[in-house]
Amino acid sequence: MMSLAGLLHSLRRSLLHLEGKLLQSAGFDGHLTPALALNGPRLQVQPQQDEHLDEDQQSPEQAPSILDNIMWMAAPKKRRSIEINRTRRRAVEKLIKVKDNVVPCLECGHLKQKHVLCGFCYEKVRRETSLIRIQINAQEGGPLKAPATETVVLYEGEMPGDQDQDKRIVERARKRPTWFT
Amino acid sequence: MATACTGRGLSFLRSLTCHVRGTALSGRPPAGLHTSAALEVNKNWERRNLQLYPPQLPGEPRRAAEVHHCRRQIKYSKDKMWYLAKMIRGLSIDQAITQLEFNDKKGAKIVKEVLLEAQDMAVKNHNVEYKSNLYIAESHSGKGKYLKRIRYHGRGMFGIMDKVYCHYFVKLVEGPPPAVEPRTGLDQAQEYLLGLRSRTVRHSL
Repeated sequence: MMSLAGLLHSLRRSLLHLEGKLLQSAGFDGHLTPALALNGPRLQVQPQQDEHLDEDQQSPEQAPSILDNIMWMAAPKKRRSIEINRTRRRAVEKLIKVKDNVVPCLECGHLKQKHVLCGFCYEKVRRETSLIRIQINAQEGGPLKAPATETVVLYEGEMPGDQDQDKRIVERARKRPTWFT
Repeated sequence: MATACTGRGLSFLRSLTCHVRGTALSGRPPAGLHTSAALEVNKNWERRNLQLYPPQLPGEPRRAAEVHHCRRQIKYSKDKMWYLAKMIRGLSIDQAITQLEFNDKKGAKIVKEVLLEAQDMAVKNHNVEYKSNLYIAESHSGKGKYLKRIRYHGRGMFGIMDKVYCHYFVKLVEGPPPAVEPRTGLDQAQEYLLGLRSRTVRHSL
């Protein structure tokens, strides 16, 4: 895996090479030097050897350090002040909305959301169901022993009816709960 | 000689503590002793419940009962807790408990517990007649004492991770919640202009 510095250096070199090729096609001799000798910054593209030497010497103009070559990555220009931050964090759309769909449950009186089952009633049904399941597990005695017939739950003092002749009977030793019709 | 000095120093401190012990501020160290900031905790919100008013005169309107309650060092962020505190400001206690019950945030459960505790305290200790006749006058969150841990980054770099804690403060006042007039943008603009026009320029010509 190439390091970040090596990757960026090879990218820079390929861009310079592409620039040279474009200049050649445009009609220049390959170097952007003026016809007369002028006193100014170097415009000639350095040959490969000098580049390698310069890289080893780590000169500040050419050496691609990690901190200098990340010139096209987005970075914040200024620290965001606390006023700016507060306006963003406390904007109306980010505050918690007060719910208006809470109504009392008609069965138990606890509060519930309109489109959701009452938590209290669900919990009481869940508890009774788990006790029935424990009874069923005790009757079956092991996994994969469920009969191929329907099941009917009978509470204290109840006899199986006409429709319950072919069904498996699960007995619970308590009075039938009012909500279990 | 050294023992005599220390004996005198100790008696001086003892006299200071004896003087302070009688007041409600006995939890603090005596005035001459310096402790580090990390050990001193601010318990001002709890002390607000201990304030006593003189008996009211026959013609005065009845002063509404107030309860201050808080919970300290909750393992939650103060910024996240602020949203819950902001939601319940100005609601009646029953409305607030309803809203918190159906909110999915971790802090909602904690704030609901604090509200129920405060309601209980109000009825038992602060002479509130009806437990539903309370509203949330003040509610805010504060920064608790953070623990610092190391978070390991690549290339041998590390950052210091804060394990955040927060406090939650609430003040319940007896009575129906006060009606709030909705402030429109126009009202806010007019208030701003009023503020600008009422400025005084000092040392001018």
